[in-house]
Amino acid sequence: MSAELLRALSVVAERPGPEHARVARALDLSPIPDDVSWTQVFVFNLYPHASVYLGAEGQVGGEAADRVAGFFRALDAVPPPEPDSIPTLLTAWAQLRERADDGDVRAGHAAATLVHEHLRSWLPLVLARIEAMAPAPWPDWARLVGATLQRGDGALIDGLPLHLREAPTFTDPRDGGGEGEPDSGGSLVNQVLVPVRCGFVVTTTDLRRCAHETGLALRLAERRYVLGQLLGQDVPTTLRWLAGHGESTTTAAWDGWDEVAGDAAAWWRDRAVTTADLLRDLADEAAGATVVAP
Amino acid sequence: MSNRDTPDLDRAADRVSAARADTEARGETFYPGASRIHLAMFPPKERWDDWVEYDSKSWPKKVEKRYMLVPTSCFNCEAGCGLLAYVDRDTMQVRKFEGNPEAPGSRGRNCAKGPATINQVTDPDRILHPMKRVGERGGGEWVAASWDEALDTIAARVRAAIVEGRRDEVTYHVGRPGELGFTSEVLQAWGVDGHNSHTNVCSAGARAGYSFWLGQDRPSPDHANAEVILLISAHLEAGHYFNPHAQRIMEARQRGAKLIVMDVRLSNTATHADHWLAPWPGSESTINLAIANHLIQSKQYDRDYVRRWWNWEEYLRACQPDREPTFEVFEQVLATLYAEHTFDQAAAESGIAADRLQAVAETVATAGNRLSTHTWRSASIGNEGGWQVARTLFLLNALLGAVAVPGGTYPNGWNVVKPKTPVNPDPVPVWNDLHLPLEYPFAMYEMSFLLPHFLREGRGRIDTYFTRVYNPVWTNPDGFSWIEALTDHDQVGLHVALTPTWNETAYLADWVLPMGHSSERHDIISYEQYDGQWIGFRQPVLRAARERLGETITDTREANPGEVWEENEFWIELTWRIDPDGSLGIRKHYEAPDRPGEQMTVDDYYGWVFANGVPGLPEKAAEEGLDPLAYMRRYGGFEVSDGVGPIHEGEVGEEELDDVVVSDTGRVYGRGPAPSVSYSSGGAPEPDAEGRRAVGVMVDGVVRRGFPTPSGKLEFWSSTLADWGWGDVALPGAMTSHVHPSQLADGEVPLISTFRLPVQIHTRSANAKWLNELAHTNPLWIHPSHAREVGVVTGDLVRVSTHGGHFVVKAWVTEGIRPGVVACSHHMGRWKPSHQTEGVDSPSPRMQVADVDLVRDGTRWSLQGRVEHGAYDSSDPDMARIWWTDVGVHQNMTFPVHPDPISGAHCWHQAVRVTRAEPGDAYGDVVADTARMRAEYEAWLGKARSARELSPNGERRPHWLKRPLRPVRAAWAIPEQAGTDAAGDPDPP
Repeated sequence: MSAELLRALSVVAERPGPEHARVARALDLSPIPDDVSWTQVFVFNLYPHASVYLGAEGQVGGEAADRVAGFFRALDAVPPPEPDSIPTLLTAWAQLRERADDGDVRAGHAAATLVHEHLRSWLPLVLARIEAMAPAPWPDWARLVGATLQRGDGALIDGLPLHLREAPTFTDPRDGGGEGEPDSGGSLVNQVLVPVRCGFVVTTTDLRRCAHETGLALRLAERRYVLGQLLGQDVPTTLRWLAGHGESTTTAAWDGWDEVAGDAAAWWRDRAVTTADLLRDLADEAAGATVVAP
Repeated sequence: MSNRDTPDLDRAADRVSAARADTEARGETFYPGASRIHLAMFPPKERWDDWVEYDSKSWPKKVEKRYMLVPTSCFNCEAGCGLLAYVDRDTMQVRKFEGNPEAPGSRGRNCAKGPATINQVTDPDRILHPMKRVGERGGGEWVAASWDEALDTIAARVRAAIVEGRRDEVTYHVGRPGELGFTSEVLQAWGVDGHNSHTNVCSAGARAGYSFWLGQDRPSPDHANAEVILLISAHLEAGHYFNPHAQRIMEARQRGAKLIVMDVRLSNTATHADHWLAPWPGSESTINLAIANHLIQSKQYDRDYVRRWWNWEEYLRACQPDREPTFEVFEQVLATLYAEHTFDQAAAESGIAADRLQAVAETVATAGNRLSTHTWRSASIGNEGGWQVARTLFLLNALLGAVAVPGGTYPNGWNVVKPKTPVNPDPVPVWNDLHLPLEYPFAMYEMSFLLPHFLREGRGRIDTYFTRVYNPVWTNPDGFSWIEALTDHDQVGLHVALTPTWNETAYLADWVLPMGHSSERHDIISYEQYDGQWIGFRQPVLRAARERLGETITDTREANPGEVWEENEFWIELTWRIDPDGSLGIRKHYEAPDRPGEQMTVDDYYGWVFANGVPGLPEKAAEEGLDPLAYMRRYGGFEVSDGVGPIHEGEVGEEELDDVVVSDTGRVYGRGPAPSVSYSSGGAPEPDAEGRRAVGVMVDGVVRRGFPTPSGKLEFWSSTLADWGWGDVALPGAMTSHVHPSQLADGEVPLISTFRLPVQIHTRSANAKWLNELAHTNPLWIHPSHAREVGVVTGDLVRVSTHGGHFVVKAWVTEGIRPGVVACSHHMGRWKPSHQTEGVDSPSPRMQVADVDLVRDGTRWSLQGRVEHGAYDSSDPDMARIWWTDVGVHQNMTFPVHPDPISGAHCWHQAVRVTRAEPGDAYGDVVADTARMRAEYEAWLGKARSARELSPNGERRPHWLKRPLRPVRAAWAIPEQAGTDAAGDPDPP
């Protein structure tokens, strides 16, 4: 893998300024990324942090970010302020690759570990969503990053990444809610918005599409509130839409990754399918109930 | 991803490599530098000459703006955080200020006050020309005048004072110094004991507490590496270094460090704490002692550290002479000294439950030697005996060995660079009793807030009085007494205000001379913000930018707006006019080092300092092909060292150990040459009787550097206090505050006035529109239970009566304050006399001030007829958008002075009565009686113990203690009192 290419891809993922243009041009990206599209992708929809997709809360930071920080510490490096962001991870990969190219065997091993544990464990899911929904040039950027991940770095590592081994499960709200969440309605919303629990990603744009496709009214607010409002209008319809969305997007995202991502691809597919089944079951039950309680 | 779309990675990599090679072949940087994904995102420094950003005002069009980035240092608080001025290359005007990543203390981060510098620079009401009073002083009429006239007038008076032997009649009264001693050197060159700082209304209490322990007067906590952080604060800002400390505290918190905050209010800092303690004001020392007692009784202190570094042997010999001076005996004594300070006792004093205090103590005990502690203003400056708050707080560090180790608290001097300069005048030959009178031999430092009383008593007069970055009428207590003094020409002959903006004191000047803001002046700074040493450079950024483009500028006025100058050049020019032919021996100090007979320039001065006084800087500059001055002009900061470590543990070299004598308590004296150090050493321990220098201290048979105290060790027991008549408080202990419940009359409650609003700093930030929009008023914090007793709700007017007068303010009912205590921030309530004229040459401030009538009836003064300002038209369209009119209330004018008899600090807390506003009361009313103020002053003066009676050696002050402008030794001798002999006895008839 070319360290130069990794560095360029990481730079382009940073918030764009005029000085990023020449790097984007070198990557043949068109149009040149600007603040508007970058914000549309990474601020409003697909936050560029591993912890959002691998953490138990679906938010930036927390234990998932600590695991990434621990990787830096294990290399005797001070973790950067946001160790799990896409630019940071790609830059780290580039730096390790450069050192490996200079003959540092330990760096080469670390690069393979970084790819296995902290990149292939989640990034293909996000890249696929970017390809599917982001404005140009981000789909092209995502394809380039995806191809680098496909090519990988060093020998394939067996086993499930720690993030996924430690991942909390999606709890059936009929069993009393998720961990620490006694309110069943709230826990359902919470869990659907936590990718590592449900197995798929629900963005702001997805929820707009849900409203559009189901004919439900859309409230403009943060995702938790929007989803609550959709469920408040029609639980079965919303849950069935979520089930279909989750199963299809995750299955598509991991298509072609089994050989290089090992067990992670299957893990995500299984989780999405399991959640989808549960959501459909809940939808059926709600359809037969007289009181809707999202 | 879809395999059908797999891009050609090798081709992509080749394209990137080729593009990078092409870019770098043009001498440009391909990658943009530091990451832009974090809050900390900075333009790479190689692009500071030509930095491109999109113009935000042109959005959505992508219009490129080209900037030159020029570093300077913020001047809105003491922290001196690095700023980068974005100088528009088309207009050569500053467009904005952001953080300077090359500043070691602030590391590119700023609080709101840094970027707001642009407001101060573009303030439509700033003073742009020298202004001369016409009519009566304080009459509000001014005319623009030339710098030449101002300089000649002032120089003639100062020269006359020097020639006529009135060297104690020139006073320079400074608020925020913002520099490392340039102006002190000027005063020293003139031979006048004229330095008068604001320290006694600020940090004197804490300084005294730290000095008696360490020989250095400030703490330097290593928050970033601490396990437990204990702050006695009123918001972090009260600790001087808000931004540099806050960012390091947050780093520690992210690691899991615990934060304990002692503050009667729920401050911004307290909201982040693991333990927030809101004690009764003045009980902080009692809590510290309870924690200390817990550490002692549970034997969780570092025995070996205490054995090696405390002056326990000296203490036993002096205070327990019948007992064997062994460490085992000392431990037995130690276990009894603080035994009464139980959690129950502290709970009774502080009003905080014993189990909560115990939990805090147990948290402190977990720190090991990674306990960082800090107090600066807050309780230390609020209470009588507040200096013991610092002394008892540092007791915890001393017990745990958390001194000058990672995560502990360092003496400040070791984390500060003190560079040599080309100006080295002899010590001044006189002692100014107006500044350091005999009643306060330990004062830290000049008793500046008592100046009006001293003048009224006839202790002296001031011929020429400079105020600079200081506004005593507004900032000090008892402001009406200041007005009485400043309007009396017999007491103050000429008042020169050096200020960028009008203020309450400048209205009472004879000359108002416009000086630059932080981006319009030169200074060097170095502050203790972590365990490292750094130096920062404040510079006039437009001058530096034009010089980068090849211009030669020799006078900062050429680059500053209007006729705004900077103090460095002003002082040099004034010095030359005082001694134009060099006959007074003054001018020579400000001749160019390499061009005798020519006037020194700022480039001469700073070029010499950076080339000769800052270790490592010349080498670093050479790496980049720059001379040291050019390096500092380009980057604005340089880190001399990171990780200074425990200087006191350093072994003294053989070269210093010549003709060595060791005292009974281990102090080592020798005649070898003193080491060359880059840090500030603090106190100046006395030589032995034969003149040998105190070179170190014997610890387990090894001569170590030690601390700059008389004993060379940490002074658990202060021989200085004991020798000068204060043996009863020579140990860390708790003193009874003047707002202790036992000291309050029925119905009185403590008023806390010392807390800051995080985005404001005294009067310096008053012309920053962004900051004023964020915070512009100062209601009275009052607990709901207390409010019910008074019968008020939020927004109601209350009258707050002090011992000197009263003010009327709005109530803010909040659970964020301890019941039975009220609080009002000291940042607000700016005013101007309604008769202050306005015009092109003398614009009068209109933002964040109220017009008032100053009304005097004998000794009774008041501010009446208040008219609030709101929106107004000016060259800045934002001023027409001001949506608030309430600018707060000026409470300090109703406060009598409270000089602490030891530290000399003004003890700010007030005993007040809070009642509903009375008929006729109006918001913002301020009423005070200077006769009542004098009575309160005299009562507090009576607490002092004069050096005339108690000095053990006939001198005015312990010679080892720090003192600004240390005069020649002969001047330290107490003069014979008129009508007495040398011993102070009445002369025989």
